[in-house]
Amino acid sequence: MDVGILKTCGILILLLPAAGTVLVGALGRPVLRGRSHWPVILGVAGAVICSFVVLGQFGGVSGDEAHGDTQAVVSVYQWIATGAPETREAPAAWFNISFLFDPLTCVMLVTVTGVSLLVIIYSREYMRQHGHPERGYERFFAFLGLFVFSMCALVLSGNFLLLYLGWEAVGLCSYLLIGFYYGKPEAAAAAKKAFLVNRIGDFGFGLGILLIYLTFNTLDYQAVFGMVADRATASGAALTDGRITAIALLLFCGAVGKSAQIPLYVWLPDAMEGPSPVSALIHAATMVTAGVYMVARCGVIFTQSSLAMAVVASIGAVTALFAATIALTQHDMKRVLAYSTISQLGYMFLGLGVFAATSAIFHLFTHAFFKALLFLAAGSVMHAMGGVIDMRRFSGLRRIMPWTYRTFVIGGLALAGFPLLSGFWSKDEIIHAAMTRSPLLGAIGLLTAVMTAFYTFRMVFRAFHGAQRVPPGVHAHEAGKWILVPLCLLAVGAIGAGYVNVHIRGGGFLGFLEPGAAFESFLHPAVAPFASASHHASSEHGGGHMLMYLSGLLAVAGIGVAWWVYVRRPDLAGGLARMSPQAYDLSYNKYYVDEMYDAGVVKPLRGSGKLAFGIDEYVIDGLIWLVTAVPRLLAFGLKGLQSGSLQGYAVTMAAGFAIILLLVLWM
Amino acid sequence: MGNASQYLVQLLPELIVTVGACVALFVGLTRGSAGRDRTAAVSLAALLLALLAALLIKPDPAASPPGLLLTSLVYYVRLITLAIGVLILLVNWHVPTQREQGEFFAMVLFSVVGILFTASANDLVVLFFAIELGSVPTYVLIGLSREDRRASEASVKYFFLGAMAAALMVYGFSFLYGAAGTTALQSGHAGALVSLFAADPVPSFAMIGLLLAVCGLLFKVAAVPFHVYAPDVYEGAASPITGLLGFLPKLAGFVALVKVLSACGWAMPVWLQWMLWIVAALTMTVGNVLALRQDNVKRTLAYSSIAHTGYMLIAILVGPMAGEGPMRDGVAAMLFYIAIYGMMNLGAFAVLAALSVRGEAAEEFSDLAGLSRRHPGAAVALAVCAFSLMGFPPTAGFLGKVYVFSSAFSLGDGDPFRMPLIVLAVIGVINSAIAAVYYLRIAGTCYLRDPLVETQPAAGQPLRVGVALCSLAMLVLFVWPKPVVEQAKLASDDLQIPAAAAAPAPEVAAAGQPD
Repeated sequence: MDVGILKTCGILILLLPAAGTVLVGALGRPVLRGRSHWPVILGVAGAVICSFVVLGQFGGVSGDEAHGDTQAVVSVYQWIATGAPETREAPAAWFNISFLFDPLTCVMLVTVTGVSLLVIIYSREYMRQHGHPERGYERFFAFLGLFVFSMCALVLSGNFLLLYLGWEAVGLCSYLLIGFYYGKPEAAAAAKKAFLVNRIGDFGFGLGILLIYLTFNTLDYQAVFGMVADRATASGAALTDGRITAIALLLFCGAVGKSAQIPLYVWLPDAMEGPSPVSALIHAATMVTAGVYMVARCGVIFTQSSLAMAVVASIGAVTALFAATIALTQHDMKRVLAYSTISQLGYMFLGLGVFAATSAIFHLFTHAFFKALLFLAAGSVMHAMGGVIDMRRFSGLRRIMPWTYRTFVIGGLALAGFPLLSGFWSKDEIIHAAMTRSPLLGAIGLLTAVMTAFYTFRMVFRAFHGAQRVPPGVHAHEAGKWILVPLCLLAVGAIGAGYVNVHIRGGGFLGFLEPGAAFESFLHPAVAPFASASHHASSEHGGGHMLMYLSGLLAVAGIGVAWWVYVRRPDLAGGLARMSPQAYDLSYNKYYVDEMYDAGVVKPLRGSGKLAFGIDEYVIDGLIWLVTAVPRLLAFGLKGLQSGSLQGYAVTMAAGFAIILLLVLWM
Repeated sequence: MGNASQYLVQLLPELIVTVGACVALFVGLTRGSAGRDRTAAVSLAALLLALLAALLIKPDPAASPPGLLLTSLVYYVRLITLAIGVLILLVNWHVPTQREQGEFFAMVLFSVVGILFTASANDLVVLFFAIELGSVPTYVLIGLSREDRRASEASVKYFFLGAMAAALMVYGFSFLYGAAGTTALQSGHAGALVSLFAADPVPSFAMIGLLLAVCGLLFKVAAVPFHVYAPDVYEGAASPITGLLGFLPKLAGFVALVKVLSACGWAMPVWLQWMLWIVAALTMTVGNVLALRQDNVKRTLAYSSIAHTGYMLIAILVGPMAGEGPMRDGVAAMLFYIAIYGMMNLGAFAVLAALSVRGEAAEEFSDLAGLSRRHPGAAVALAVCAFSLMGFPPTAGFLGKVYVFSSAFSLGDGDPFRMPLIVLAVIGVINSAIAAVYYLRIAGTCYLRDPLVETQPAAGQPLRVGVALCSLAMLVLFVWPKPVVEQAKLASDDLQIPAAAAAPAPEVAAAGQPD
């Protein structure tokens, strides 16, 4: 491992997308116009190459041989001087711009930059049609470049300060891109909602970081994690369980907001008002996984607190199930996918909570491919349907859009956990780990898996099968190559990404496939605290093949039911809904959570806002009037002196000096 | 003691600027416009050359000429003055009428020389001369800056009030001389003044002298109640000169304040602490409250510049801290802040100068309405400067405020002035929240309102370059502040009064004596 190369790559990964953004921002409108995608595509492509170079430094995906260092901290420069006195023991009198490279960083970098590149290429054609009437095109690509920069900063960071900056910056990009069609009231409202809900989580996250600084007197990962492992604080006192739990839970607040978990998930479905590539990239594949990444990164902290781990696991499991039930009944394709994203993120947190961090990150990795694929394919449908995405208004598209159909089915199979596709491998590992830990959590995982298969193929069958039907006045067409090429590449990923963690061995699944291979051993050093804290050997599946067959079977069953209900007996669908109207309504209306928040949080807040406004208007303004009346009276009295006359000023100064002199003498 | 050639090398930056000023005067006398137009270029060349010299020549205290003391403070002040001087020159490139170019740019350079000597002065008389050398040219510059009755009025007002403040200051210096028996400051070494203020009780002559001197310097930095001139003067001068006025006299005042206070050993008497405390609180509040009520952008920024003085006074109250991190050191924080302030303030005024409304520079808020649509570049620059003045990341102004406010927390637990300082920092934070109202109004007017008046870009490529550099510096110094912070810290460390550790260096002390 060459630290110099790592440092150069880290800087380039940040600077290249940033340079693309600056270029588009400065020259987009006057010069580049329709070519605005080029600087960003080239910048992100450079970042992809650098990410792979970084990966290569760590021995690549196949490098399961353990060679020495698995971690490198690179300090780029000292940024902000802190208040701490500089001593030999604690030379951290600066907040540094520093990178932490380890296998986790590599996986995240490759995922983020790779998916980003494909999505940006896709956007070139998509945004031609869906850009803002006047000047949306270059703005869109500038924001995407900024997003890649921020996300990479978040991932590369070697300390909590840079992590926080990246965290907030991706939040800003998310806000800007959800509200991309700012002329549309829904989009503006969704952007605001996303921003505000995230503020709640980020407030906790910020407090957590402050608490870390108070406790350890530094924000550097290595220093903090080292002290946590030794159960020591900066002052030398022992680290109490309460303090570490508080830190972990506050940090988790941020993850709940950013990764859309209960109770802060409400912003993500609305975020689908943004352009489809944004939904694919930011609100499915990358940004929303930042919370998962953060918990995995802070494994040392989380695993020290069994309470925090239990909270992570249960919130993950409940969210996975809850969001899946909502996804069953939605009509908007992108909304179904949004709830499915929430549900899959729930799986990842479940994985983290049951100490299976490698599985959680593995699922993050595969999910990025197939969920981006699904969103982009849904975007392609929307593209063809003239902006309509409601499944009640079209059907039978498989002949019109054969490639979109094929890729969507592949993505759907992967999401449903169909055997041998990427989602199957990663999801199974999480369910397996959960089952070992607690049968209840495992059962929730399995139940969610059936539902996932059902709602995914409900989408497939309703949109692509049945009678061919398109919204009136729409010339339906298959998309061009700028859209189809990224789709096909992602489809390859959706099929094959799982195999980085599968090796051929006798007696495995189907007799020769054994999960838990290169990916796991590669990632293992970075998330070692999870493994050492858990007592089950996660790399050996043992009797787990039964579970694999079972979950595969459940996936097939879910798909089968969807087929039966939506293709074989289309009349059944309505019947099912009528059979239990309350349950259907509850799910369709998303458990009325938005309404509850509106009544329980928004209305009281608005009320208190009105109250505060009243106080401001009548009480405070009155006080201010009173306060300003004094200088005004003074001004009236001293009018001769205040009218800009030189003598007046001289007298004021002299009087001022006299007052000071009197005060001093009096003291 | 050094010899003459050593002195020349050590003072090379000052010499280059002085020579540049003289050359500019002569070039300005040439017949025909072609020759005169070169004065700005000559001055720029002098400043750049001096900047290079200042970078390369590390001040050596042992080689200080008589009456001067060359420390890291000199190094820092040289660099920021010359660097911002270059920006000032760029922004002022097209301000003077053709006839007056020679005088105008010579005055700018003389003022810069005055600031440079303020930093190195080691004698009350030299310090007084240096401050006045920095100030007198500014009176002239205001008058030259535009053909307007208001400019002449501002010039005369500033001159008379400045003379009054100078009288206060020099009166104070004379008391100090009377009490100490020497005019030498001997900064950095236990000198006559230090022992004077270490005595108990402090002789009243010395106290009155210090009070008068501080009050005279408070005029230079435009602190309440010596701020009254600022709004009129800032509004009267042409915008680019207002940008200069916000930096050079303030820098001179603060550096001189630091020098006088460190000569007195930084052990401020309680009454002086409380006086500065009240002045700082009033300065912030008065500046911000009055700025809120203005419709003239220049006047708003003038009042806001008073408020910024208040922030920096907090750091002055903290004083230098040996060995503490840069964030805990008041003087380092102040030195960093004033460099940032000079640039963001200059940038904001320069944008006003870059817009022409009905043949005049923009002044009112209504002139800025919808700027982002007509001149997006200018709007971005003004927004960056406004956000920086507000102290909002990602701009350097944020770091400046962080350093200044957090320095207020660095007094030890036992210090009785610890709590008052923290309260003062809180007042400062509240004030910067109030200030956000009018800074956001500036940025918001540019972006959210429809254009109301016809604006043309004013002539001048150098002006645009200056604006771009100012706003770019705000972003770059946020990302990479270390070089400036480190130099500021070094400069402050040189001011430490070693309580017992350092033996007085007789050589340098002798050099400081008036011959």
